[in-house]
Amino acid sequence: MAAHNDPLAHPEVRQGSVLRYVLGFVASGAAMYFAYVEALGKPPVVELLEILAGALLFSLLTQAALFFGLDISRAQIWKSVSLILTVPLFIIMIGITVWAFASLYNRTMPDPAIMNSMAM
Amino acid sequence: MASHTQAGADVVLWNASADAHDNISARTYGFWLYLLSDALIIAAVVACYAVLDNPMNAAGGPLGNQFLSASKGLVQTFLVLGSVLSYSLATVALKRGNKLGVGLGMVGAILLAVLFLGIGMGDLAALSAAGNGFARSGYLSCFFTLIVTHALHMGFGILWMLVMLVQIGVFGFTENVVARLLNLRMFWQFQASVWVVVYIYVYLFGGAH
Repeated sequence: MAAHNDPLAHPEVRQGSVLRYVLGFVASGAAMYFAYVEALGKPPVVELLEILAGALLFSLLTQAALFFGLDISRAQIWKSVSLILTVPLFIIMIGITVWAFASLYNRTMPDPAIMNSMAM
Repeated sequence: MASHTQAGADVVLWNASADAHDNISARTYGFWLYLLSDALIIAAVVACYAVLDNPMNAAGGPLGNQFLSASKGLVQTFLVLGSVLSYSLATVALKRGNKLGVGLGMVGAILLAVLFLGIGMGDLAALSAAGNGFARSGYLSCFFTLIVTHALHMGFGILWMLVMLVQIGVFGFTENVVARLLNLRMFWQFQASVWVVVYIYVYLFGGAH
């Protein structure tokens, strides 16, 4: 196996390309700029959440594909699989924590209008 | 039985053309698993931030929408993305065994990362100087934890790059050095992934509502 003798011939070294990395920078940066411009318009919370979640997902997917080079090739497939298997852990960790505390606040905290008036 | 084959020197028991043990892939995959567990630590801090981001937990102190600057955060976003681009381009030079190209890409990445850290740490210092430090409220404790956790990762990445600049000069592109450079590439790209989550959730969502 060539990669065994010459480390620079390893598939993970060969996978990099100027075009891919520049595209990753432009795509991810454009998504963040789009999110910034939209957030400045101060849309309703639900609409803002949808826009920001979309921009974030797009940015992370382009980074996964173009920066990390994740795909189903022999060199990368186990990284792709392990990332996919970790995604439910992110959803459980963040989703259930936020849901549990939102539910807790609704039962134990004062009215949100009162809470807002307490700021500063 | 005539069809029965005795195992012996002339019998192939396994695929003779199987790959040799691939040290680089083993190391990058191990490091990838570390990054996934690191991402779960970040997810835990983000979950904590989401829970504490309300006036009750600000305890009379400021929330993000009172001190965060979305435009400054955008500058930081492009700095960290630019730094990742610079290091990634260094690994394109690695394909050609170009030490100068790798070195220049890493130095560019370090400079942009230092600028990024300078803005971030300057903001935290100003916040603390105004009496809104780490211990002011539960919200600020979590905000500082989130920003400093990411900043520490960036700091260690810079240190790692400095070490690799020395190792490239001393050892050249050996198998060990190349494996470390590939791991560092993943580590550095991971910092951009973490930052876009922080920017979208803390700076844009938190700053706008």
